[in-house]
Amino acid sequence: MTKLLNSLATLAALTALSLTAMATSQAATIPAGVVLHPTQTLVRNNGSEPETLDPALAESVGANNITRDLFEGVTGVNSVGATVPGVAESWKQTAPDTWVFKLRPTAKWSNGDMVTADDFVFGIRRFLDPKTASTYASTYGPFLSNGADVVKGVKPPSTIGVRAIDKFTLEVKTAGSVSFLPALMSNSNLGPVHKASLEKFGKDWTKPGNLVSNGAYMLKEWQVNSRVVLDKNPKYWDAANVQLTRVNYLPIEDGNADVKLYEAGDNEWVYQLPPGTYEKLKIQFPKEIRNAPMLGLRYYSYQTLNPVFKDVRVRKALSMVIDRDILSKRVTADGQVPAYSLIVAGVEGADPTPYDWASWPMDKRVAEAKKLLEQAGVKPGTKFSFTYNTSEYHKKMAVFAASEWKTKLGLNIETESVEFKVLLKKRHDGDYQMARNGWVADYNDASTFLTLVACDSDQNDTKYCDRKAQELINQGYQTVDPVKRKILLTQASRQIMEGYPIIPLLQYSLPRLVKSYVGGYSLENAQDRFRSKDLYIIKH
Amino acid sequence: MWSYTLRRLLAAIPTLLAVISVCYFLLHATPGGPFDSERQVSAAVLANLQAKYHLDLPVWQQYLLYLKSLLKGDLGASFRYADWSVNDLVAQAFPVSLTIGGISMVLSIVIGVGLGIVAALRQNSVVDYAVMFVGNIGSAFPSFVLGPVLILVFALSFGWLPAGGWNGFQLRYMVLPVALLTFINVSTIGRMMRGSLIEVMHSNFIRTARAKGLPMRVVVLRHALRPALLPVVSVIGPLAISSITSALVTETVFSLPGLGKLIVNGAANRDYTLVLGLVVLITVLAVTLNLLVDLAYAWLDPKIRY
Repeated sequence: MTKLLNSLATLAALTALSLTAMATSQAATIPAGVVLHPTQTLVRNNGSEPETLDPALAESVGANNITRDLFEGVTGVNSVGATVPGVAESWKQTAPDTWVFKLRPTAKWSNGDMVTADDFVFGIRRFLDPKTASTYASTYGPFLSNGADVVKGVKPPSTIGVRAIDKFTLEVKTAGSVSFLPALMSNSNLGPVHKASLEKFGKDWTKPGNLVSNGAYMLKEWQVNSRVVLDKNPKYWDAANVQLTRVNYLPIEDGNADVKLYEAGDNEWVYQLPPGTYEKLKIQFPKEIRNAPMLGLRYYSYQTLNPVFKDVRVRKALSMVIDRDILSKRVTADGQVPAYSLIVAGVEGADPTPYDWASWPMDKRVAEAKKLLEQAGVKPGTKFSFTYNTSEYHKKMAVFAASEWKTKLGLNIETESVEFKVLLKKRHDGDYQMARNGWVADYNDASTFLTLVACDSDQNDTKYCDRKAQELINQGYQTVDPVKRKILLTQASRQIMEGYPIIPLLQYSLPRLVKSYVGGYSLENAQDRFRSKDLYIIKH
Repeated sequence: MWSYTLRRLLAAIPTLLAVISVCYFLLHATPGGPFDSERQVSAAVLANLQAKYHLDLPVWQQYLLYLKSLLKGDLGASFRYADWSVNDLVAQAFPVSLTIGGISMVLSIVIGVGLGIVAALRQNSVVDYAVMFVGNIGSAFPSFVLGPVLILVFALSFGWLPAGGWNGFQLRYMVLPVALLTFINVSTIGRMMRGSLIEVMHSNFIRTARAKGLPMRVVVLRHALRPALLPVVSVIGPLAISSITSALVTETVFSLPGLGKLIVNGAANRDYTLVLGLVVLITVLAVTLNLLVDLAYAWLDPKIRY
């Protein structure tokens, strides 16, 4: 009887989870009454030079913005952050660990070849093959059956749980239940690759003239540190609904230069406002300023094996006294939201678990923190070191935090500014006491944040491990029912955060300027993934 | 002179080797590596990455392999920009830097020397003060202040020129960066030319020439100019090198795809091959320009013979 009930429960959960999407147009939706501009071109700053246009190797946000336009996965993420059909016109979860994607026969590569399930199998195997040496393989690989072993080089890429059932049917087997697989598959790392052109051109396959893409755009021009120009792909299955005919990606890193180009009309999309300019530009460009919380967390890490920070009371005390409201409104002053939890608002798969003391008045928090330090035997005047990477923004935050710890608890903080690469090495090696840290979700699920504090996780710089919470995480990952899974992961998050391995500070936001005539931009896109195919230029 | 040139070129080889060696070992000794990233990679992936770039070998073996490739003209694969070789990256950035830096140097020499002469000959006049005032502005205000001012005036206020960027070799994109570099260099060259010419004009041989009744134009052009140019020529070499290869601020302010940005990003990303490739290029340029300066000395000063 119990077995039967379990089977029924699983079936019910699977039915609830089965997602079937119809083959409809997924490109830019133009609201009624909007008149399009005769010239549909967009100049969009991308924040940095893409390190590659090879979807398997793309790591940075900038590179992924471009590869997302060039290569389309079985699914995509639209302007409001929803997972929508891509090359697949529909998909279904046929077992807790199996998904079947039906590809549309109309999908074509830019050279006219058909996009088939084999292209996906080739692309995914190549991505996870350690010989390709993709830095993202360790992030996505473990979600696929045998993926973790393939990434480690223990099993061959042919054993990964992806196979072409037929020309237009792709089966993906996951390692356990991965309820967010359709969203995960929207990443171009897990997209198709045109094998013939890769074999023909070798390492030059991503160069203009050689690159064969299946997305809404194809590569027209690429000059390093100057621009990447994409033209609309006439062979794209939904080309009729793609409005922008040309997208010009700029690689400008300097925020001031970015804004100047915007003001001069040479750029229509500021990647990110330079520090300290948000309030001024909000007044100057009220209709063009865009700012919304992202799925990202600014936080400070403790090295929890360090003798001083072994004691949870010390870690808790230091977290309690930082006034996130002042940090948000007065120090960073660019619309970032105070955070008191590892899981930020908007993340699926777990709820934020703010601390009880977050709502206390600061006096009460300080009194409690002093008591904790006293119990832990930490006296006023004790020295701590805090390491951050050289940046005006991080410096402002570090100076504020150090002053909070000094004035409220009497602790002496030595701040150390180092190069970013040096900070990364120090954090990974555990060669620090407290360090600046930050994380932006790779996919919309709580697991991306839990990797930061999970036992034995490569991403866990804190060296903290709560075995009980880890058990909850493992249970959650194996649970098919999304409600139960969410409860388990939320419990795990709360349990870990009660151990104070990190100090959550702010939820990221990305303040930028976008011309008011750029349609399709939404503030609901918490992963900041804007496909150019969803955008259009309004008559102006 | 030809044998001198040949000797200098041969002497450049150990210089180049020394520079490469020092940079090579310093880069490898710097904390943080090219594959340190927010997302930790698996050991298998890291091993493949290291093997691809020979980082799995002892440093001295890597060094010898690098020298071997260098002899073939191969600057190696970029660590950061996976789709490009260092040769590709340099080939894209160098023409941009050479054009901006080269044009600005030619203009700086012509304008700077001209203004310096005028100021020296009209010492303590309104013209002199005006030239010195402009020169002092160029020296006192850093390029990260002057650059945005140029953008504010010519791009934002008048809308005559783009605020930055690069589009082929279109003149309109070059005007402001060339103007900025020229302005800064003119201030150095102009002040140096002025001071040098004033000193020469007080020399005995100039006094003799003037006593002989030679017209001022002849005195200046035939007798004073050459010796006065000597210190100016000395600074032209370093100025040209910095204008071509290290105009980072100008490149940042005007979003230019030049060498300065490549080398700074290369160092920050621990892109060993890219930094070394650019160091080789800069060293070759420095050696060449210094040689040209030394040859110019011989032409300017009859006492110097090679």
